[in-house]
Amino acid sequence: MATQTDLTARQIVSAYVQTSKAFLARKLSRHIWTILLLLVLCGEAGVGLFVMRDLARSYATVEKMYNGSVQGLLRFGDLEYEAQETRRRTLYALTTNDGNLQVDYADQSRKADRGVTQGIIQYLAQAHTPRESELGHRLQSDWSAYLKVRDDVLGLILEGSPKEAVQLDLSVGVPEFDRVRQDLEDIKVTYSEQASQQLSAVAEFSRRSTTRLSASLLFGLLFGSVAVWAIQKSRMRGAVQLAKLQMDFVASVSHELRTPITAMLTAGENIRDGLVLGSESLFEHGSVITDQAGRLSELVDQVLLFAATSTARPSHLLRELRVDEVVADAIRSTKGLLEKAGATIDVKIESGLPPIVGDLSVLSQCLQNLIANAVKYSAGNRWVGIAARLNQEAREIEVSVQDHGIGIPASDLAHIFEPFYRSPQAVAAHIPGTGLGLSIAKRSAEALGGGLSVSTQIGVGSVFTVHLPFAHEALQGIRRQRVPELERQP
Amino acid sequence: MMLGLTQNQTAQATPPSSQTRSKPTQSLAIVVNRSNPIDNLSYRELRKIFLGERNHWPNGHRIAVAMLDYGQPERETVLRLIYRLDENGYQDRLLRGMFLGDVLVAPKTLASPLILRKFVFNAPGAIGYLRASDVDDSVKVIRIDGMLPDNKDYKLQIDERSSE
Repeated sequence: MATQTDLTARQIVSAYVQTSKAFLARKLSRHIWTILLLLVLCGEAGVGLFVMRDLARSYATVEKMYNGSVQGLLRFGDLEYEAQETRRRTLYALTTNDGNLQVDYADQSRKADRGVTQGIIQYLAQAHTPRESELGHRLQSDWSAYLKVRDDVLGLILEGSPKEAVQLDLSVGVPEFDRVRQDLEDIKVTYSEQASQQLSAVAEFSRRSTTRLSASLLFGLLFGSVAVWAIQKSRMRGAVQLAKLQMDFVASVSHELRTPITAMLTAGENIRDGLVLGSESLFEHGSVITDQAGRLSELVDQVLLFAATSTARPSHLLRELRVDEVVADAIRSTKGLLEKAGATIDVKIESGLPPIVGDLSVLSQCLQNLIANAVKYSAGNRWVGIAARLNQEAREIEVSVQDHGIGIPASDLAHIFEPFYRSPQAVAAHIPGTGLGLSIAKRSAEALGGGLSVSTQIGVGSVFTVHLPFAHEALQGIRRQRVPELERQP
Repeated sequence: MMLGLTQNQTAQATPPSSQTRSKPTQSLAIVVNRSNPIDNLSYRELRKIFLGERNHWPNGHRIAVAMLDYGQPERETVLRLIYRLDENGYQDRLLRGMFLGDVLVAPKTLASPLILRKFVFNAPGAIGYLRASDVDDSVKVIRIDGMLPDNKDYKLQIDERSSE
């Protein structure tokens, strides 16, 4: 029991999904420009992401430049200062005979040279290019050479040989220090070149981002304008079409109403004016009035049904249905029509058909319209065939209504499902109808996620097929139910 | 390597025996620059260097004597044990030597053992003195008559009474 309930729930959900899909497809075709506009906006967002990526790269490059070149230049400034300080403090020791001061200057010089040595090690550790490594090693070597001279000069100063100290500094110390200074200058140039390259890269990123952003904005603006224009135009066209449809509808309904009303009016006037004499004539006029009133009632019913199927979200009472139940309901409802026309009906329903999900009244009305059409266009051959079968490949149940009537000309096939359309042959043959039957049948089938198709041959007849899809879960359930049945069959 | 000193000076250089001291003493280390190849000096050679009678090391570097400032026990000890003079005698001798040209470079007078240690560290030809406890790896302690300051027969012992 519980399994059956679950199955029903699944089928109902599946039917809703199918209905929603059809509804969505209609909406999509109606709002294609809006969708395109959204796609453009998505594209804009994509370009925005690219621009953001470029900006992030720019930021990373700037950060790299700051951490590399700018910080490097700052460190280089410290390095240059400490190198100068090393030499300066050494020479300060020459300016005094006070041993304490000389030791103090020597200390300061050594402290400064430790700063330089550390700076060079740091520079080498952070060197990324062969050029930087080469410069670093050269500086390290030249700085060591200068320090040896500096130590000797300091020693001479402290030992009380200032003259020799000055001579040593001038002859060896100055050239050695010049080499160090040249190395530092080369490093500075390298830093400047790197900073310049990175700045160029940032400028390139910035240029590219600007171009992309501008192009994107321009494209977005242009396409957006076009899309807005198209949407407005589409809406306007839709509004015009709706107005035209409403006018056509009113005109058609008015026309259809006028005919029976006129007939009824004429018959009534004749009776009122005493032109109808005798019971036979009175019966004839009474029959005209009742026939036309019946036609009028039918027309009003059809119009109301058409209006109901025209709503965007028709409300249906979905439940699990058996196909034979639907067919029986349709035959029962058209029994009077069939008997009056003297038509024979041949029903063939495949055994073990799975249940479907739908609204009984809607499906029944759909079949009733098709049966009524088959009777009306049977051209003397009063045979109507109803068949139901499972189309496993298409995952649907097909219910067809067949007649051996006049058939439909190819030129009419494209219009037979349009509301109020009536074939010129039908009109010429005085076949009564509102032109709403097939339109209502088609809309009813589509409203339940299905469809309506037709195959016809002039002089042979027509077959209208209602396609009712079923959900995958329902199919699984159906298979499980059918296998034991098949196994039971001899 | 032995540097020649006079016999007379040698006789005067005998320091007081450690057994006669009543207070705990500390050795006075003679320190040179670590690049100096000298490892040992005789007591006589040491006096000669401090008196300015010898101006260069065998490696050619000028000898730069480092003295601590006036009033410090180490200086008192050096004046007493190496120069064998009191402060006034040392000053007189220095002035006379400078005036006569016997002393080419006056000893550097430095304010503290720390500065003296740094001086010796920086000057390859420097020689100075420090309490054994003030010595570190930046300078080299040389043997005097083959003995290091921790030797019980080491001659240069600071007499703390001299600073009282």
